[in-house]
Amino acid sequence: MRHLLTLILSCGLIVTAHAAEWTPDIEAWNSPEPPQPEAVVIRNVTVWPATEGDIIENADVLFRRGKIVAIGVDLDAPRGAIEIDGTDHHITPGIVDNHSHAAIIGGVNEASRISTADVRIRDVVDSESINIYRQLAGGVTTINLLHGSANAIGGQMATIKMRWGASPEELIFEGARPGIKFALGENPKQSNWRPAEPRYPQTRPGVEQVIREKFQTAADYQKAKESMPTGRAARNRIPPRPDHEMEAIVEIINGQLDVHSHGYRADEALALMRAAESFGFRIKTLQHILEGYKIAPQMAEHGAGGSTFIDWWNFKAEATDAIGYNPALMHEAGVLTALHSDNPELARRMNLDAAKAVRYGGVDPHEALKMITAYSADQIGAGDQIGRIAEGYDADLVLWDGHPLSAFSKVTQTWVDGRLYFDREADQRMQEALEAERAELMAMVLNQGEDDAGATETDTDPADSPATAKRQTFNFARHLTGYRPSELDHDEYCVFHAN
Amino acid sequence: MMNTVFSMQTKIASLLLATGLALSWSASAQITVLQGATVHPIAAPSIDNATVVIRDGFIEAVGTDVEIPADAMVVDMTGHQLYPGFVHPATQLGLTEISSVSGTVDTSEMGNINAALNVEVAVNHDSQLLPASIAGGVLSAHIIPGGGLIRGHSAVMNLDGWIWEDMVIRPQAGMHIAFPPGAVDDADNEDLKIINRTLDQARHWHQAMEASLSNGLPAPKRNDQLEALGPMLAGEVPLMLHANRYDAMEAALDWAQDQGFENIILVATPDVQHIAPRLAEDNIPVILKNVYALPMRRHEAYDSSFVAPARLAEAGVKFAIADATRGMDVANARNLPFQAGTAVAHGLDVDTAIKSVTLWPAEILGVDEELGSIEVGKRASLFAANGHPLEPMTQITHVWIDGQAYDLSAVKGRALYERYRQRQQSR
Repeated sequence: MRHLLTLILSCGLIVTAHAAEWTPDIEAWNSPEPPQPEAVVIRNVTVWPATEGDIIENADVLFRRGKIVAIGVDLDAPRGAIEIDGTDHHITPGIVDNHSHAAIIGGVNEASRISTADVRIRDVVDSESINIYRQLAGGVTTINLLHGSANAIGGQMATIKMRWGASPEELIFEGARPGIKFALGENPKQSNWRPAEPRYPQTRPGVEQVIREKFQTAADYQKAKESMPTGRAARNRIPPRPDHEMEAIVEIINGQLDVHSHGYRADEALALMRAAESFGFRIKTLQHILEGYKIAPQMAEHGAGGSTFIDWWNFKAEATDAIGYNPALMHEAGVLTALHSDNPELARRMNLDAAKAVRYGGVDPHEALKMITAYSADQIGAGDQIGRIAEGYDADLVLWDGHPLSAFSKVTQTWVDGRLYFDREADQRMQEALEAERAELMAMVLNQGEDDAGATETDTDPADSPATAKRQTFNFARHLTGYRPSELDHDEYCVFHAN
Repeated sequence: MMNTVFSMQTKIASLLLATGLALSWSASAQITVLQGATVHPIAAPSIDNATVVIRDGFIEAVGTDVEIPADAMVVDMTGHQLYPGFVHPATQLGLTEISSVSGTVDTSEMGNINAALNVEVAVNHDSQLLPASIAGGVLSAHIIPGGGLIRGHSAVMNLDGWIWEDMVIRPQAGMHIAFPPGAVDDADNEDLKIINRTLDQARHWHQAMEASLSNGLPAPKRNDQLEALGPMLAGEVPLMLHANRYDAMEAALDWAQDQGFENIILVATPDVQHIAPRLAEDNIPVILKNVYALPMRRHEAYDSSFVAPARLAEAGVKFAIADATRGMDVANARNLPFQAGTAVAHGLDVDTAIKSVTLWPAEILGVDEELGSIEVGKRASLFAANGHPLEPMTQITHVWIDGQAYDLSAVKGRALYERYRQRQQSR
């Protein structure tokens, strides 16, 4: 108890010490909201607008109260505007990662029923996930939190902005269209996980069948609801029992809830598009879609976007034909193409995945950048608000100390809604403050002698709970300590297999 | 224009190979000359408009003032950048194909003591992962075993060949021991006792065997595991010591030095940066696993893994950058150079970064007389690129392994690309 009190006191001291300059904290709950300046102008910078326009060198970007107002050369800035020198720097829109599991509490998968359309990720957003801060440091400003891929029809997604320190409700980005996760292939058919009681379906035709059946059942449910008479005629009639799963699937058919479907192979993706067509709606995106290049013309015709890994392959039998050239080929065929992380570590360097779209198939660098900004925003129905540097867009911006697709460059600033949420200098202040705090606590512990010191060795870290221990057997999390379980959580049926 | 010339010459070469002519041709000297490229020897400053002469798979000359042998096949490489192939310092390429299909995975043997294992015998020379790695410029690799406390011998291999025997560059490159993390603050750690006991038994076994050979005493009972530990105990094969947290690394080094090992290579996570001064002082090289790792501890700086190479370099430690060596990273061994690239963004100078994936791994693995730079006498395993090879935007256009032009168009990814691009364009 005394330890806790001292901890709070020492944190308080540190916050006061830096009151003049905004400094983030390693804990979201203790991280102050950065101010939103009235006006900011970043000058003499290379602008990658991710629009139809060209890259502009030595230009200025002006934003006011969180919105971009002008891009040009020698812009007039309002009086009192904060001036930032962007010499030798590049500026891009904030990265939009439309396939993430980086901030979900209590498990990514409701791996039970074949359809869990009634489950909502927005109910379990983890605003404390350190991934939010770390990904800001990689230039990510919006992530789409998706349910896992264990079920043919998974839960409803939640899109958040990386407002480190805000509450779960405040993180939600209402500008994105609502959507739902689907999954095809090895995961829903349980190829790599065998529960004691197998679940229908166990084959790809079964997955396609169960999805069509759910669509039909939902259509029937809606018809039954609509055919209920009103007024006096309704007396003595029993309405259909309210069913949240069916309600969600009805919204899918009505085009109110966008489908984002996990899947690798061409056959099953084509089948899903045809099933949707037979119910009169369209699949918004095929996620991962490693064989998208085999059905790119059909995707373009249907209107399905392709959101893919650039080069992960061969981790499953269904991923053997994955090629780095997939984005180039889909893009060339007119498919709205984006790249995503699906992984909290990779999400910190999405710019290098975009760079590989240049390596594999020679995509123009500006187009490649759009695959992690403009086009990924378009895929979640927010391309008119985020993902581009254009007038009226949210001031979600990333300043890089070199070419944004270069391995030799890093992020120096990340702005969200015109607030400076990541700043290398502020990060440095935070590191120094944490170091000082740690030294102070260590000194206190050492001064208190053997008996008391023993107590601090008791590890009460939630990351050591048995449930987490099991999850931590995956490669990227093997030796990590001090993490909250949700921070290392991921779609365990999707890509990670211990070897 | 250049491409046309090159492809015509390749066609002639393959035509020759296809006919019996090739036999008599290769029976004499096979000489290839790469002309006009900017050559980056790594061990020396870059040379513009240089000539590289390759004879029978080895580099015979490099420079601007080089005489071109009369019977050489000359390839115009004007406008290209030539680099030595990347040497992957630790991977399980060849031992695994599809990580979720257990029948294709031979990475981790069961049990604690696997000293008698030799990985090269299980390297699948036709693994699809090998051409993908080669297309990324990773032309040779140190293949490591992954199961138990004492894991067996690793091998440095060419990534191209018709049988694994031909691919071995250096067998018994190291004996791998995973230091048990539980032994950090527990002198009675059971796993460490198993290791200690095994090493003691091995020493006694080898003493008895020597005594038997020199004095005609009865030989000890055959024991493959104990026999296999001999080269390491004699200091002929390095101890490759695996540890993941800095306290375990320190304990592992204390232990290894107590045991009398002098030929030690530490295989470690970015946490190794915290013991850099000791490594520099003791002259212990490091195989650095995975710059692309989340910070080891939640409270650490976001870039704590990215800065590890720079910290090692500042302290004067010799290191080779690897990936996670296992799991998903095996299929993406081709991404090795980008890890070094990211280290540049975070403070490592670019020349050191490129050494850390070419010359330094070759030196650490004891194959620097053959690999790691474009120098006279080394294997002609090199590639041509259109930009800096640590940049993911750069495209690799040509590869030679032991002097043989490698057909990149046959690599699965590129072949599928061409096939579907043609279909797409014909629509």
